[in-house]
Amino acid sequence: MNAGVAYRDGATPVARPGAVVRIRDLGIRLSPDYAVLIERFDLMPGEAVVLDSGSGTGKSTVLGLISAAIRPTPFGGESTHVLLGVAVGPGIARLSYAGPGQIGYVLQTNPLVPYLTVGENIRLPSRLAGAHIDAEWQDHVIGVLGLGALLARRPDQVSVGQRQRAAVARAMLARPRLLLLDEPVSALDPENADQVEGLIRHLAEDAGSAVILASHQAHRGAFRQTARVAHRLERDGEGRSRSIFATAARERGQAA
Amino acid sequence: MRLALTLSLRDLGHDWRATFCFLAALMGVLAPLLVLFALKNGIIQNMVTSLVDDPSNRELIAEGAARYPAEFFQALQQNPDVGFVSPSTRSINTTVSALRHRDARALERNVSVIPTGAGDPLIAGEVPEPGAVYLSESLAEALSAEPGDTIEMFVDRELSGQRETARRDMTVSGIVGKQLYGRDAAFLSLPDLLAVELYRDDRAISADTWTEPRPAPPYYPSFRLYARDLEVLPKLRSELAAMGVRARPRAQNVELLLALRTNLNILFLAVAGLACAGFWFAMAANLRAMTETRRVTYSLLGLLGSPLGQRRLIPLMQAVILVQGGIALTLLAVLPTIAGINAYFSDPGGNAVAQLGLVHVAATLAIGLVTSLTASGWALSAVGGIGMDEVLTHAA
Ligand SMILES: Nc1ncnc2c1ncn2[C@@H]1O[C@H](COP(=O)(O)OP(=O)(O)OP(=O)(O)O)[C@@H](O)[C@H]1O
Ligand SMILES: [Mg+2]
Repeated sequence: MNAGVAYRDGATPVARPGAVVRIRDLGIRLSPDYAVLIERFDLMPGEAVVLDSGSGTGKSTVLGLISAAIRPTPFGGESTHVLLGVAVGPGIARLSYAGPGQIGYVLQTNPLVPYLTVGENIRLPSRLAGAHIDAEWQDHVIGVLGLGALLARRPDQVSVGQRQRAAVARAMLARPRLLLLDEPVSALDPENADQVEGLIRHLAEDAGSAVILASHQAHRGAFRQTARVAHRLERDGEGRSRSIFATAARERGQAA
Repeated sequence: MRLALTLSLRDLGHDWRATFCFLAALMGVLAPLLVLFALKNGIIQNMVTSLVDDPSNRELIAEGAARYPAEFFQALQQNPDVGFVSPSTRSINTTVSALRHRDARALERNVSVIPTGAGDPLIAGEVPEPGAVYLSESLAEALSAEPGDTIEMFVDRELSGQRETARRDMTVSGIVGKQLYGRDAAFLSLPDLLAVELYRDDRAISADTWTEPRPAPPYYPSFRLYARDLEVLPKLRSELAAMGVRARPRAQNVELLLALRTNLNILFLAVAGLACAGFWFAMAANLRAMTETRRVTYSLLGLLGSPLGQRRLIPLMQAVILVQGGIALTLLAVLPTIAGINAYFSDPGGNAVAQLGLVHVAATLAIGLVTSLTASGWALSAVGGIGMDEVLTHAA
């Protein structure tokens, strides 16, 4: 799919077949005095960015907003939300922009369907979309993540770290053009975390996926050089605060 | 559709404890209801039927003696509300002097003789021809007579101080059961009854010729009359009253008997209705609770691209599977119970004490299907209310 696109850390890609993510002023009011706002989010194919702001600032919320799993709050101004060229909105079928080949999402809570085996969980998004499964790539992903012996087990029969790796495999199985990673290695000790992060990065490069990683541990490991999403907290006079996220502004004409 | 079915079944199998509880709750409600229903179809129905449909309840007794012409009886015979009518020679029963069973040497004096004919609700089998007789059960016992036996009938008369006795042989055609007629009586054809009366009154008739056929009289003083069923008895009575014929029901409590059947039906409908409603709400609540424990999974399925219709199909299919499965299990438990009840208790009429037919089983399954489809509505709407964002922060 995007195998030909070079993987680059935050740099402006040479080839630009269209932005993977383009967002302006998309946010949600979580409580009367707390809101999370994505001021600007641009991501080109194969690019990677890291969200590394503190706990509770809204990293998971940002990923939810980008994937349209969270319904945004209207803030008065006009907002833009385009994923892979599709303008996301209430009437748009989810599978038209968030199918398994479009978005792979590793959630912070690592949920798996409890009544399906690990292998069935990994294949579930493709089955839901009725998409063809590339057996060679499947074997590759499962092999790289070391899940081969666990495929027939149920989620309650594997460790938390193994669940995390299964969730990564589920997200990667259809070579998504956008990979959302919410603390994908939080359950692992630092050494293993670095190793798994390296595997994820390796797989994402193979698949040509653009990556958005939310992590506390990104100062080390495979994504330590990757561009950061800027974060700032704005407070108004009445004690209300806004947690604001923005990717780096691009030179004129460069943002698709 | 197929994927939703797979997910439904896998979920039920995985959460087998909840599945078991659901089935147990369903069986707990349904099993007693089905047994009760089987008893209603069996012994209770039979009891009510034998009580309400007892022919003697349908009898209208002529009051006083009158002169009823043949046209009167023809008209009654054509009246659709009439079950049976026969002319009668007296307003109270005629008696013969004695009946004797030859072989057993048993003798009964002053036996009532009652005219019978086609359609008599007391006579099961062929109507007695002249020379044949049905005996009430108590009389048959007293005479030790059985169908096919021959008995002697004696009729005495006293004319101008002279005592004479006529006799003839009668064939016992059958027995009238105790529950139909409780006292001693012999049921015979109208010509035979007329012969008894004529012999008593007419000097010209001798003991040798008294059984010969004679023309029917132009008028009869009384009648035996049964309504077709209990419901039309009051109507028939007022029809007679309109013709100036006074008759009273043998049963003093026709209204009460009619109300008994109606009220019992209402009672059972109410019990079944309440039980169905309870069943419905129990299912609805159970299904709703099941979706609650699966919130995170439904949220995840939505996030992974399962459309809402597909996600809703899961609890819907589970409802159908659980309810139909529960009914099947209940039947597996209830049918042997019913067989056991029937083996242990015996109904005097020889009918099954508890009865559950194929129709009832099919109806139960159909009601179950409707219940599962409608009772899952609450669960279905709950699935619609589970957002994709829940799985972002809530662990499975
Ligand atoms: N439904 C909600 N109502 C009110 N506040 C909420 C709600 N959901 C989240 N929050 C708050 O919003 C903030 C952002 O939550 P979020 O999970 O996005 O943070 P995070 O940056 O991912 O944190 P962590 O690094 O611990 O995962 C938190 O302070 C949280 O308490
Ligand atoms: Mg988070």
